[in-house]
This record gives sequence, C-alpha cells and structure tokens, in this order.
Amino acid sequence: MQVCNNVLITHRYEKRHVNGPESLYLVGGLLVTFSILASRVSAKVGMPLLPLFLGIGMLAGEDGLGIEFHNYALANVISQLGLAIILFDGGLRTRMKTFRVGLRPALSLATLGVFLTSGLTGLVAMWIFGLSPLEGLLVGAIVGSTDAAAVFSMVSGAGIKLNERVGATLEIESGTNDPMAIFLTIMLSEMLIGSLGSPIATIFMFVQQFGIGLAFGIGFGWLFGRLLKWLELAPGLYSLLAVALGVVLFSITNMLGGSGFLAIYLAGLLIGNMRGRHLEFILPVNDGLAWLSQIGLFITLGLLVTPSAMFDYAVPAAVVALALIFVARPLAVVLCLRPFFGFRWKELTFISWVGLRGAVPIVLAIVPVITGVENSALYFNVAFFVVLISLLLQGTTLAPLARWLKIVVPEGVTPLRRRLLDVLPDDNYEMFIYRIDSKRVEDIPLRMLRFPSGSTIAALFRDRQMIHPKGSTRLRHDDLACVIGISDDLPALNKLFDGEARLRQEREFYGAFTLEGDAPMRDVADAYGLTLSESERDRTLGEFIAHRVGGYPVVGDDIDWHGIHWVVNEVDGNRVIRVGLRLH
Amino acid sequence: MLKAPASVNTLMTLDQILPPERTLFDVTGGSKKRVLEFFSTFIAQNTPSLDSQEVFSRLIGRERLGSTGVGNGVAIPHARSPHCRQPMASFLRLAEPVDFDAIDGEPVDLVFVLLVPEAAEDAHLALLAQVAELLNSADTRTALRNAESQHQLYDTMVNAIHHLSAQA
Repeated sequence: MQVCNNVLITHRYEKRHVNGPESLYLVGGLLVTFSILASRVSAKVGMPLLPLFLGIGMLAGEDGLGIEFHNYALANVISQLGLAIILFDGGLRTRMKTFRVGLRPALSLATLGVFLTSGLTGLVAMWIFGLSPLEGLLVGAIVGSTDAAAVFSMVSGAGIKLNERVGATLEIESGTNDPMAIFLTIMLSEMLIGSLGSPIATIFMFVQQFGIGLAFGIGFGWLFGRLLKWLELAPGLYSLLAVALGVVLFSITNMLGGSGFLAIYLAGLLIGNMRGRHLEFILPVNDGLAWLSQIGLFITLGLLVTPSAMFDYAVPAAVVALALIFVARPLAVVLCLRPFFGFRWKELTFISWVGLRGAVPIVLAIVPVITGVENSALYFNVAFFVVLISLLLQGTTLAPLARWLKIVVPEGVTPLRRRLLDVLPDDNYEMFIYRIDSKRVEDIPLRMLRFPSGSTIAALFRDRQMIHPKGSTRLRHDDLACVIGISDDLPALNKLFDGEARLRQEREFYGAFTLEGDAPMRDVADAYGLTLSESERDRTLGEFIAHRVGGYPVVGDDIDWHGIHWVVNEVDGNRVIRVGLRLH
Repeated sequence: MLKAPASVNTLMTLDQILPPERTLFDVTGGSKKRVLEFFSTFIAQNTPSLDSQEVFSRLIGRERLGSTGVGNGVAIPHARSPHCRQPMASFLRLAEPVDFDAIDGEPVDLVFVLLVPEAAEDAHLALLAQVAELLNSADTRTALRNAESQHQLYDTMVNAIHHLSAQA
C-alpha cells in the first residue's frame, strides 16, 4: 500500500466532473446512513456491529464501489479525534462506584498487562514476519490494548449482566489501557526512525506523558464538571460544550507532551460522576457522537485497506491474531491478576477472552505510516486482521461463554425509563416507568402494595389512556406505571415490580434460603452443623464469606462449603448484607 | 445383608417423614412467633422425646439468622435438635396469613417445618432442598391453598411429593 497524500475521496469524482464538495457530503452521508441502518439488521441477526462498519467501508473502497482513499494524514486526523471522543464517552459512562472492585486489577492490566500482551505478541510477529525486535514489538504495541466501546457494545448487546468484579475490571481496563498502548507505539515508531535516543529520554517521555495526562485530566475534568453543573444553558448546548472542552483539553495536553487520551478519559470520568441535570443532556448526545466516531473510524479503515493487496498477509496475520487471543492475552491476564487479586479461574478465563481489539489498533496502525517507519503497510494490514479476527471470534462468543462459565448474575426488573424530575435544584426525585408484568401486583388495590415510603404512582397508562390512580385502582398486565420517588427507592421498587419468572431465576441462582450478613458465624454453624476453626467462630457470616472470596465481595460470588453453595446476594461496599444458600 | 446407614438416608423421602397427623389444617396464626410456639408445643406432644422450649428456641434462633420465609407465602422453618433421632416434618396451613419477614415481604400461610438430628448429614440438606423445590411450584401452592379439609390437604401434599420424586 502506498502513501499518497493528495488523493482525497473527491479525486475520482472530480475527474468525472462532479463539482464541489457535494459528492463528498453525499458519499459521507450515505456511508453513515447505511452503517446505522445496517446496525438494526445486525442487531436482529446477532452479527457484531463493528466488523459490519468495516465491511461497508471496504465495499465502498477501491476494490468495491471504487472510492480511492489513501490519505493517511486525513485518516490520522479523523481517527485521533474519533478515539478521543470514544474515550471521553467511556469515561462519562464509568461509575466511580465500580472502582471498589475494579480499579486495582484494571490498572494492573492497563499497565503491566499491555506490556506483557504487546511483548508476547511482538515476539510472535517477529518470528512470523522475520522482523527486528523493535519492529516486532511495534506490531505488538499496536494491537496491545483492548477496546472499551467494542467490549461494552458486545457485552450489553448480548443482554447479559456480568458480576461486578468482572464487569468493572473489563470496563476500567478498556478505558485506561489505551494511553499505554499509544505511548508504546509512538515510542517504538520514533525509535525505529531514530528520533528517540537514550533510555533516559524514553523514561522522561513516559513520565511526561502520564504525569501531564493524569494531572490535566483530573484537574480540568473536575473544573469542567463544576462548570457544566453550574452553567444554565439550552439543553442541546451542554453536550457540545462538554465535547468542546474535552477536545481543548485533549489538544493542550498533547501539545505539552502529555497523553491527551488519558486526560480526556479522566475528564469524562469526572464529569460523568457529578450527578445533575446536565448529565441527562450530555449522555445521549455523547453516545451518538461515540457511535459516529466508531462508524467513522471503521469506515475509514475499510476505505484505507486494499483487500486485493492483503491476501499475502492473511495467513501470518491470522497467526499473530490467534497467538494474541490464545497465548499472549491469557498469559498477561493470569500474570497480572492471579497473584494479586481474588479472581477465580472462570473469571480469569472470561477476562482473557474479552480482550477485544477495536478502534485503537486502527488508529495506532496509522502512526507508523505517518511517522514514516519503513514497511509501514505491514503494521496496517496486521492490525486490520487482528481487529477483524478478534471481533468476529471473540465478539460473537462472549455471551455464550459468560453463561457457560456462570459469571452472569440474574437481572431483576428495571424501569423501562427513568428521568430526573428537575423540579427543585439538587433534588434527586426521579420518575420511573415500569411495565406491569407480575402476578404479584396485578389485580391488587394500589393501597395494598408495599411502596417505599415517599414514592407514589403518579399516573397509569392502560390501552393508551391515562388513568388517575386511586387507592382502589388495580394494576393490570401491560399497564405502564409512572412512579415518582428518589433514587434510593429504586431497589425496593424493582423488587416490588419483579415478575415471577425473574424471581424464580433469582431463587435458582441464590438458593431458596437467605441469611443475614451480620449473623454470627457460630450460630450459622450451630444451625447447619458446620465445623469452624476458633478464629472463624468470632466472625459474622458476611465477614467469613468476604474473606473467603478475597476481601472484595460482589453480588454473585459463591463458595462451596459443607455441601452448601453460599452465594453473595447483596453487598454494601465491601460488606456482605445477605447470603443465599443453594442446597443442590 | 444390612444396608449402610447412608443409603437408608438417601432413600428417605418427604412423605416418609410427614405422617397425616403432622399435617395441620387451618392453624390460627397471629404472628410468626405464635406460629412457631404453636408448632413447638404440638410437636412435643406428638413426640415425647422432644422438649417444646428447646425446639422453639432452636427454630427462633434460626430465624434470627435470616427469615425462612422463602417468598410466595411459604415459610420453611428448620432446625437441628439433639433429641431428634429421625428427620421429622410437619406442615401447617394457616387460617390467616401472618407476617414472616419473608424475602419478598409477602405474608405467609403455608408453613413446612423440618427438624433433623444433630449429626450433620448431607441427606438432611437434601430433604430441605426437596421441601424448597416442592413449594416452589405455583400449582402445588394453589392446590394446597384450595384444599378444604385436613384430609384433602394431606392428600394434596403427598401427591405433590410423589409428583416431585417422579420428576427427579
């Protein structure tokens, strides 16, 4: 593949006397339209989305409809911005509450893990393609980090709820490991063209990248968050301002030699964790922008590759991809997590498998081309195959694997929709909308239902008609109930509206019987004839279980002990509130 | 040839430990405590080796660790007792549902009590699991609630137990 900086999408069309930028708009608009429409189809047939966008780009490209696009500089501009916005969105969506169980393992994966994955993959690439060690490592670095958006669109698209430890670790890892891979790629690219000299310079660059990125991200993130919360703006402007601030931070941090990607992720994280009305406006728009970035990135990649020129790379690149998936990632995961954190083997297996590669390798594969590294087509084509194989192989098998490994926890009923009421400044009253599907609440007068105090049914919709709910009103199947209450009422409300099918599932998972976490262990032992050591007798059941699972319990953790399956049913921070007993 | 004790236990089914006279129809409830008190007095009269006070305090002790109200109006109080030589079961249908701090907050009207000997046996856990599974069926619960006499209640229960073991 060649670098031809001046061939824009419009080039061919100009030759055909299509005038002005209209053809560019048309092609761009059509590509995005097809991608979004195709996403509906792919949701129906269960095909992963991202490879689809890639396919659309390839179809439109030079071996398909014939759009020639080799402008790596433009591709670089698009992809850097796209990735920054994807990371920003990832930060906005990460709840700091999940840091309790996910932060430390995720950071271990995001730093040491990226190192190990890149190194091991690099060795394989070196051997397969006959590269120098530096060149091999560059291949490894490009494909070294997992993709937040890919991981989460796949996991949530599969309709499964992971246990919090696994979910949080994957989420935080995928958000934080990109700066490491980016750093390694830039560093190795510069070493290859000889612009980076001594090891000291390298270490300095590392400290600068992460130090400035961290400080700017947290500092400005906090500031931006306060600003957005404080400002009175038209609803549509909040998210634009948030993105604009994020992009400003991204570029300033980069200019000063810090990691802009790290900074913008952290800024998103801080903004997203300051609750308020502004978030209601920011999140949906940013979700759309992140999708647009994904579509843009994958279509750009699809356009950039020349499928007919890639066959030579297919087999060796596939070997690299498989080595990454089956050797490098699992080894890195085990080495980073097993010795330090209380992960079980089935959790490690799943985390290894969810090393989805997505947008980042694509962005990074352009770096060697831009920096002018020799033989840059190789990096690009390998990245293409690794991403494609990872998405197709791992992406499609995630949900079945999670179910098979039993790290999925049953999901109770949740509101169809929830909105902040925004009546008083700083109130946290929300409206929750539930669809009634539970014999336990149907045909029972409203006043007999155990609503949490302070919450109430404000309106009821039946057959597209609104009904004024009274104490004597009886709910019916498929009614829509609008409940007003504070956020803390949500668990109780979910429980109230939970249907039998879900309750049965929960009982199957947690067992029929439930014990309180603060029950003294000696009493539990007396009740079930269990033998305890002296020190165990003085603990509560909750402490005992928490200790057994490594100190950071999550819902769904279980231990097999004395012929009983003890399953953590509810936690508050690191305290186990309730434990289920599954007897067979 | 003598059978090993373990195999005797695995053959033990719920209907063998629930005789008709321990199936009680329309028990006056009142409260969780009153129901357990009533049962303790009853079982001590039924089985002289048991002491009502002791049974009561063990059942209440178990409730303190977490309610045995498993939801859908069902409670399965259970305890170990040193004076109990064989597992024994008793089923009470209450005239009026009582608050049992059940997991789903629903009041309870179907109470299945299980007493087992001190020696820890997996077979006892298996019995407890069987009870839970038995009353997990909505059809069984409806049938038990619809029974119109003590006799019918017992027959319904035994049928349900047979149905369950046939499935297994």
